[in-house]
Amino acid sequence: MGQNDMSDTTATEAPAAKPAPSKSSLLSMLFADQFATVAACFVILVILCAIFGPLLLGEAASDQNLRARNAPPFTLDRGWLYILGGDALGRPLLPRIVVAAQNTIMIAAGAVAGSFIIGAVLGLTAGYSRKLVSEVIMRLADVIMSFPSLLLAVIVLYVLEPSVLNLVLVLAITRIPIYLRTTRAEVLEVRERMFVQAAQVMGASTFRIVFRHILPVILPTLLTIATLDFAFVMLAESALSFLGIGIQPPEITWGLMVSQGRQYLTSAWWLAFWPGLAIILTTMSLNLLSGWMRVALDPTQRWRLETGGKKNG
Amino acid sequence: MSYSKFLAGALLASTALVGAAQAQEGGVTVVLSEELDLIDPCMATRSNIGRVVLQNISETLTELDVRGDGGVMPRLATDWEQTDDTTWRFNLREGVTFSDGSAFDAGDVVHSFERTQSDENSCEISRYYEGMGVTMTAVDDSTLEVSTDDPQPIMPLLMSLLTVVPSETGMEFTREPVGTGPYVLSEWNPGQNILLERRDDYWGEMPEVTSGNYVFRSDAAVRAAMVETGEADIAPSISALEATDPDMDKSYPNSETVYLRIDHSVAPFDDKRVREALNLAIDREAFVGTILADGTEPATAIVPPTTIGWNSEVEQWPYDPERAQELLDEAGADGVPVDAEVTLVGRTGNFPNATETYEAIVGMLNEAGFNMQLQMVEVAEHEQYYSKPYVQDRPILVGAQHDNSRGDPVFSMFFKYDSEGRQSGISDERVDDLIDQASAATGDERKALWSELFAYLHDEVISDALLFHMVGFARVGENVEYEPTIATNSQLQLAEIGLK
Amino acid sequence: MQKAIGKRAISSFISLFLLVILVFFLSRLTGDPAALFLPVDASEEMLEAFRERHGLNDPVIVQFFSYLGDLVRGDFGDSLRKARPALDVVLEAFVWTLQLALITMALVTVAAVTLGSIAAFKVGTAFDRFTSMLSLIGASAPDFWIAIVAIVLFSVNLGWVPTSGTGSVWHWILPICVLFIRPFGLILQVVRGSMLSALGSAYVKTARAKGVKNRPIIFVHTLRNAMLPVVTVIGDQAAALLNGAVVVETIFGFPGVGKLMIDSILQRDFNVILAAIMVTALAIFIMNILIDLAYALLDPRIRA
Repeated sequence: MGQNDMSDTTATEAPAAKPAPSKSSLLSMLFADQFATVAACFVILVILCAIFGPLLLGEAASDQNLRARNAPPFTLDRGWLYILGGDALGRPLLPRIVVAAQNTIMIAAGAVAGSFIIGAVLGLTAGYSRKLVSEVIMRLADVIMSFPSLLLAVIVLYVLEPSVLNLVLVLAITRIPIYLRTTRAEVLEVRERMFVQAAQVMGASTFRIVFRHILPVILPTLLTIATLDFAFVMLAESALSFLGIGIQPPEITWGLMVSQGRQYLTSAWWLAFWPGLAIILTTMSLNLLSGWMRVALDPTQRWRLETGGKKNG
Repeated sequence: MSYSKFLAGALLASTALVGAAQAQEGGVTVVLSEELDLIDPCMATRSNIGRVVLQNISETLTELDVRGDGGVMPRLATDWEQTDDTTWRFNLREGVTFSDGSAFDAGDVVHSFERTQSDENSCEISRYYEGMGVTMTAVDDSTLEVSTDDPQPIMPLLMSLLTVVPSETGMEFTREPVGTGPYVLSEWNPGQNILLERRDDYWGEMPEVTSGNYVFRSDAAVRAAMVETGEADIAPSISALEATDPDMDKSYPNSETVYLRIDHSVAPFDDKRVREALNLAIDREAFVGTILADGTEPATAIVPPTTIGWNSEVEQWPYDPERAQELLDEAGADGVPVDAEVTLVGRTGNFPNATETYEAIVGMLNEAGFNMQLQMVEVAEHEQYYSKPYVQDRPILVGAQHDNSRGDPVFSMFFKYDSEGRQSGISDERVDDLIDQASAATGDERKALWSELFAYLHDEVISDALLFHMVGFARVGENVEYEPTIATNSQLQLAEIGLK
Repeated sequence: MQKAIGKRAISSFISLFLLVILVFFLSRLTGDPAALFLPVDASEEMLEAFRERHGLNDPVIVQFFSYLGDLVRGDFGDSLRKARPALDVVLEAFVWTLQLALITMALVTVAAVTLGSIAAFKVGTAFDRFTSMLSLIGASAPDFWIAIVAIVLFSVNLGWVPTSGTGSVWHWILPICVLFIRPFGLILQVVRGSMLSALGSAYVKTARAKGVKNRPIIFVHTLRNAMLPVVTVIGDQAAALLNGAVVVETIFGFPGVGKLMIDSILQRDFNVILAAIMVTALAIFIMNILIDLAYALLDPRIRA
């Protein structure tokens, strides 16, 4: 197998061989990529909104004013809070989007992190352990994958309370298989590589091999999926609201706002547009960041950002 | 066998790829919001089934005149009389045939009634005759006698709900309904469409429309778009937001009433002042023309104003948040737990803008000093809160919508207000008594009793927070003529559609 | 290989059985179908009669074993709401969903793999940025939003295609286009990412160092190595479509399994839920076996 030989001869260049980049070099690598810089700024902004938004604007976001119902955007007549317009109950959209960032990010981050960690651990186990364990885990993935997420949502939200935390639970469970299956597939391939086999020969513990040698190699792929999943989860949450079984008012999320604004698409487009834009911008920023991170964390590609870097733009 | 059905389905689906939609000459397409699970005539009181079946496929002995002031009109019965307190005699139309060719006679009516009472099906019409001890006998082919345990003055009205099937019909639900109506079911492709075609041997006046094709779209915007593009002729229910074209869109009082049901046995709502405060704290007028459609009316009773006995003297609660706050303070000073967190349970998608409506109400109530929390739930969960046994571990208000287009309060009052009623929040002897009396009374006495009850419930008991009589919007395409009525929620007679 | 597939079938059957048990018991925690079938003003007697007739009064465990007993005889029970065999109801809908999913996934795969690979080869170029951006916007826009805008634009304003429903080949265009967008964006991203790391990996460099100038060969080698995660994501997306494209089917009035599922779940039509899950799960299991076969084809080392 010529192809295998090729990879084997040079695969001794293990990812952990180079020292991890220090913080300051990470920053300079970030500035080397303008797109990533902008994206990072946006993500930081969203995170700030999520943390401080409800404290600062919570009041303004829930103040109803039927006279400002569906107030059009881009006018300061009603004050700067109404710059993006008002919703069906005359609440200003800008503060609502800022406040909704908290729930949105909590749900998306919670669900992605939960499914990522559980999926990756199960996937690593399935890929690196004996047949029986692997088989059990994979069948479990099958069960989860074919359990309709809608039914799960109805069951959890009916039996428990319809809360942000329970919604995270529902979404996290449904997203486990994708990480699990990807991780396992990658492990199956990586574990045959020379550096892993070398580590085995040198007597490294399984734990060390998996977390020091295998995980770093597959992490970039998983992170790519995770960033995309971030968008998926926000949209899944929105779809659940659309079908009437997700988060419901008075809680707000961007997804819920889009779903509530849907019926005004032809008469007051801004109701659904701004929160939709927030979802799209957040997703895109995360994706640009993850693209940058792939390069920055990959020892074989890092040079692109370290040496001048500008040509990358 | 299922496997062969699967194959047949696959073939059908792939041929559907090439076959184009065929519009029939003189046919109309109606787009409904929900697919029909069943098409059995004995389920015709269900809104979406009724719109297809009622008076199109299956007819009733009598019919409520919703377009004029005629009251109960003859349909399959030509006339009727009360022979004694507990007996009614109906003379039936002669020369009527079912779509399978058999002749219609009194035996068919008796069978139709018995069928609804059978325990082999779940016919929902049966609920209207429950506990009356109805016995039907065919005196001869064209004479029917109906006797009951107690006087039933509205028997002719009740007969407008009993869809007549031939006596050969089995007890279990049928998928091939046979009726005396002007149309006959000719195609049913589950999930796709239902096609009714006009019969040549209908007893009455031949309707203009030759066939009715029913399709189903759950999104109101899509239903409106379909009429606009000519893919459908009538969308009996679109949302007010889409109803922007005065040439096509017609509003109608849809006989739905929205209210907040109060469970009087749980504090703080066991205190009348708190219930009054609740009513005073809601600015009903502010909803009309904003969140809810123009034409929506603030309600003082659970039935629409066209119902007999509706009391025009009952006055709408004014919007007075200061007074509400005072009442709450007063009650609070007497030890009523007015600060307790109250959950308002609403159902998502119950009516257009349901969520926004309840959000606004909660906002108003909190403004006036209540401690309200909104919880929007799906239909099954809503049912848990709406019907007995109630959740009583915390104060709950249930936002609900009630439909009565039948012209008489009897179809509402027992369920909503009697101590035994499954959705009743009160237990009041005088109310129980008035319901009993009014149900058995006739004419002006009946009207007066219902009026008295409405006033008593609204002013004295303050049984609930009545909110709005709703309006619906129908979109009618340019090729047909159709005026929606208060009954459009429950029926859509193809015979009432004109072609241009 | 046959033995492996046989084993796989058995273990899939076990998963299916587990799934049925889970769904059966969990769904029965969620309320009373009688109250949903009958109108709110039905009497307690009517409700009781309904429950009795459908065996809903028996202890759940008794209901379960009687259901299993019927199942063994090939009887999936009747739909509570439609009063006809649940399996018929599900298969009718599944035919539609299957066709929709197959057509959409075929289009998505071809488009995403082609454009994603090109983007990876031209990493950093305007083409790369543009496709990434476009696919991302597509992948992060809510589908009901796209669906309604598409109907307003292409059906109402332009009159090119019917708004919704079934009947002709034209009716399929909008639903497929709307369904296409999200998996396309997702798979394109994964293809691009995976291709990038494969291109950066040692053996491609070695091949280049050894003087393999032939781009097609490099392309094929890279693609082959990059396909593992791609196949996984394709499988995941196809499974999601087989489970029914709920939102799209709901809006377009497409009589598929997703619409059936949401209706049955909301109405607690247990037998239909179970039959639908078994049918779609079976389809997904078969697809997963195919995916594992694809792994083995792509990477001989996985062939155990």
